[in-house]
Amino acid sequence: MKALLKKSMSIILAVGLAGSLAACSSDSSGGKTTTKDGSGSVKLTLWDQSVGNTDPSAKLLPQIIEKWNSEHPDIQIERTGTTGEQYKTKIKTSLAASEAPDIFYGMGGGSFMQPYIESGNVLEITSYLTDDVKSRMAPGMSEAIEVDGKIYTLPVYTHIANLFVNTELFDKAGAKIPTTYTEMLDAVEKLNAAGITPALIGEKDRWPGMYWYDMIAMRQAGNDAVTEAFKDPSKWDSPEFVAAAAKMQELAKAGAFNKSMFSMSYDEMLGAFNAGNGAMMFQANWVNAGIEDPSSAVKGKVKVIPFPVFEDGKGKNTEIFGGAVDGFYVSNTTEHPKEAVEFLMYLSEQLGTQGYLAGAGLPSWNIDGLDTSGLSTLDQSAADIMKTATSFIAWWDNILPADSAETHKNLIAQLLADDITPEEFCKQMAQLKPTELSL
Amino acid sequence: MNSVFSNKKAIAIFVLPTLLIFCTIVLVPIFVSSYYSLLDWNGVGKGAFIGLDNYKEMFTDTRALNSIKNSMLFAAASIFIQLPLSLVLALILASTIKGEGFYRTVYFIPVLISTVVIAQLWSKIYNADYGLLNWLLESIGLSNLAQDWLGQKDTALVASFIPTLWQYVGYHMLLMYAGAKSISQDIFEAAKIDGASRIRTAFSITIPLMRPILKVCLVFSVIGAFKVFDLIYVLTGGGPLFTTEVPSTLMYTTIFDTYRYGYGSAISVFIILECLVFTVIINKFFKTE
Repeated sequence: MKALLKKSMSIILAVGLAGSLAACSSDSSGGKTTTKDGSGSVKLTLWDQSVGNTDPSAKLLPQIIEKWNSEHPDIQIERTGTTGEQYKTKIKTSLAASEAPDIFYGMGGGSFMQPYIESGNVLEITSYLTDDVKSRMAPGMSEAIEVDGKIYTLPVYTHIANLFVNTELFDKAGAKIPTTYTEMLDAVEKLNAAGITPALIGEKDRWPGMYWYDMIAMRQAGNDAVTEAFKDPSKWDSPEFVAAAAKMQELAKAGAFNKSMFSMSYDEMLGAFNAGNGAMMFQANWVNAGIEDPSSAVKGKVKVIPFPVFEDGKGKNTEIFGGAVDGFYVSNTTEHPKEAVEFLMYLSEQLGTQGYLAGAGLPSWNIDGLDTSGLSTLDQSAADIMKTATSFIAWWDNILPADSAETHKNLIAQLLADDITPEEFCKQMAQLKPTELSL
Repeated sequence: MNSVFSNKKAIAIFVLPTLLIFCTIVLVPIFVSSYYSLLDWNGVGKGAFIGLDNYKEMFTDTRALNSIKNSMLFAAASIFIQLPLSLVLALILASTIKGEGFYRTVYFIPVLISTVVIAQLWSKIYNADYGLLNWLLESIGLSNLAQDWLGQKDTALVASFIPTLWQYVGYHMLLMYAGAKSISQDIFEAAKIDGASRIRTAFSITIPLMRPILKVCLVFSVIGAFKVFDLIYVLTGGGPLFTTEVPSTLMYTTIFDTYRYGYGSAISVFIILECLVFTVIINKFFKTE
């Protein structure tokens, strides 16, 4: 009896063990689910990060995919959406493991995608693009997406950063909506006197503060000087950038920013602005949908204007912060590159134009003949500002290499906390690495 | 059944599945991380072998040293504030007071709540604009003390320690309470007959007999302090200006924000070694005493 028990136990254990091992090894194909089944239909996987409640793309994407799937029975798309920060970790991990989906969203490109482009994880699509496709893009777009003369992505939306002002609070304080730096200081003083927080920064996340400095630097030195400094970081240590850092500190010391900025996150900043707790916010037009949402207390009271120009600055108000190309990429491990690129072109153009009309972002595609009467005033003004653009500089943390971008953001936090002087700030900026992108 | 357990092969078969899982999800990653920590690597492509340079950088970089200092302070706060507090609560509960079960449950509730929820809760308590703490201070006439607790360099560290200390007081209390309860009632009765006061009983009988459980609590609380991540990450993200940064949050930003997998791995290996060394020291300390 005992011998039998022993035997049967070891058999059970052995089976269990083998089963658990098999369970580990069966799913080795992971995210690579491209298969060609008997009917000759191709299945492609798509990963994106559009899942937010007020994100217009989250509603549009399933519609666009459904339409494509019904029109192309031979190329079927399967979509997986994951929320922002988690998406970043997810896509980085799967790219590193060569298990990326066929088509995926690549955030704002730049230094986020650069390591994967260099290591060959991303498919080059230059040869697939016909002049016809290029001609349907907005002017300048086909150049903007090139990396060393090669194309890896197609544009969907463009975002540009502008100053959002709460006109109700400005009226209450008797302040004038600023068009110059002096007027801005003046408005800060009046708003403070009326007990209104002049501007909100969610500095806990550090990039909202970076937007302020970067814009100030661009107004002070002009876009050309900034582009030069990206290529040769020693130029960060020049009088213009010192003056920009000094202005940033001057604003902070004048009480322009909320006292709680270091404990306020980006989301809390949006919440506070939409609740009418601050008169100004410098952000990109992705915040439009939230401000115009029925739940917002400032709906219809907010104006979007170009950042004030500086009397002593070289930058003009047509030099724009933003214009980063946000788009989808095709993985190099896809088994059906032709079909994937075909869908990429369809998706980018459809999402780009329909998303523009839904308020998700500014168009990267030709929008002649579209009915834009349904656009909100904020979207319309942002589009108007973009039309005046003479030059663009994208988000600096996407232009600088990843570790330099972190240093840049940390230095600005120190500047805001009055931890370092403008001179010291610029000396440290000069230690950054040059950009790896071709500007 | 006895013959099954005396059979070495059977023991091996029983242990094997767990051993395999332990190896694949604990041991192997540790060795892989140790290897990565010797590389200059961005996570994709090829890494360059740079020997111990990552470790050298860690011990010369003021940001990394500051994070280590913070975790040491945190460990000290756990030992000298959290554990004594747990001990006092445990002793009071174990001395058969009214509503013992009720208080035990109440103090243990924070342990059951997810750390992220706790962090969100406390960030609302500390909030500078509508926080409970500032509101309380203002309503008792101390509005000059109201401040941005998590946003200032001189208050952020202490403010972020308090929630973690608070959260795990209940956990250590329960361990100690169980330890105190397991002491035989005969000894207490004898002490009572001898006329020992409650405090005297606690110091001369209960605490000395709780030594094994106190050692366990000490090890858990020190290791917990070195590993703390989620609460700090949600509460402050290591800010403002790195004042609340601990090695684990530094590791996260190094790997996922700056793409420095090699340096990040070096920090993770340091955390493992730090925990091992302190566990050994604590064990030695309890043996010699």
